[in-house]
Amino acid sequence: MLMVYSAQAQKLKIKAVPDSIKVPFFNGIFVQGDVASVASSFFSKGKTYSYEANVQADFKHKLFPVFELGYAGADKVTTDNVGFKTNGYFERFGVDLNVLTHKKDSKPTTNLFLVGLRLGMSNFKYNISNLTITDDYWGGLPKTTNYNNISTTKTWYELAVGVRVEVWKNIFMGWTVRSKTLITKDKDGDPTPWYIPGFGINNTGSSLGINYTIGYKFHLSAKKKPLDKVKQSTIVITK
Amino acid sequence: MKKIQYITLLLCLIVGFSCAVDESCRTNRSVLMQFGLHHVNLTDTSRTVAAMTIDSLTVRGLVVDTLTGKYLNQNLDSVYKNLKSISIINVPLHKFEHMSVYEITFNNKIITGNKDTLKFINRKDTLTILHENIDKYLSLECGSIKIHSIDTAYTTHHFIDSIRIINHKVNNINLENIQIYK
Repeated sequence: MLMVYSAQAQKLKIKAVPDSIKVPFFNGIFVQGDVASVASSFFSKGKTYSYEANVQADFKHKLFPVFELGYAGADKVTTDNVGFKTNGYFERFGVDLNVLTHKKDSKPTTNLFLVGLRLGMSNFKYNISNLTITDDYWGGLPKTTNYNNISTTKTWYELAVGVRVEVWKNIFMGWTVRSKTLITKDKDGDPTPWYIPGFGINNTGSSLGINYTIGYKFHLSAKKKPLDKVKQSTIVITK
Repeated sequence: MKKIQYITLLLCLIVGFSCAVDESCRTNRSVLMQFGLHHVNLTDTSRTVAAMTIDSLTVRGLVVDTLTGKYLNQNLDSVYKNLKSISIINVPLHKFEHMSVYEITFNNKIITGNKDTLKFINRKDTLTILHENIDKYLSLECGSIKIHSIDTAYTTHHFIDSIRIINHKVNNINLENIQIYK
């Protein structure tokens, strides 16, 4: 207990100030895998697929810089028999902010409510096949166009909101919902990719995604005192 | 804890349903060149141009041999067949050739500035459009379309006095491309 003694006009006031809890700067690293993308890949039967994992550091239990890496692709044929095929790696980096607050005299909860920002990038190749144009009025043979091995790099940003809960000793589960917006856009009329690894289905430059992660938190510090209580026994006397 | 699990499940369901892919094409795929019909009214002191409504009109495409320049005896359906009270004509350009030719048959009465009535019955003009054809990719659901860029347009003068290209680009946004003056 921190005691503050205040002397004013020959009176001594004793005021009790609660103990403060010091949160270490570095609290460990999460290593997490995304289950939602695996489930989604299974249900889409190969039309789209994505696998991703991330590492995320815990600074002050407030800031969580993150690096995400994944592999994704698509193999789709429309009802008009137009085909689209791609696959490639993607990476994202960014930071989450834990918006849960704790009282100064209490231990912060291990659960997290995170809001964050990501910058994503993917360099990949794609094919669009069997684009057929017919001339219904003038007639003539239909003409088919194929675009093969178009190489492109796409960048996008994501606004993310999610929760992370410690379900068992250092094992965390949680979800993140992301609103994704493309930064690099194609020229009107150019053959744009229907699917971008890491971004998802490219619907007019925006997309919505969800991750359900399961991960482990490693406490890497040698002196493992994640949430030390530090007593400050300072006596302050004021006139 | 239970609350978080419940919210997680709910979110998964909402996102899952909202991300269902809709394969229908909602973009207009129709590419038509638009003619606007205009009447030039000349008096001693002024010249005014106004939109003109034709009493009845028939439009059909003429197939031309690109090597000889002769019309082939190939009957195409009319784009418009004896359509009444018309002031705008929308016609498809050839998607794979660089020349589209139309025969337009006009039936119209025009009251002049001197209040005389001029009758035009079955007046036929042949309109020739030279154009470039360009592939435009819309989306995976909608595929590609051909858009056009008009280079030149010329006409015979049995009914039509003159024509003017006002917008060279012909795409899936309907805009007036050529004005026909009488």
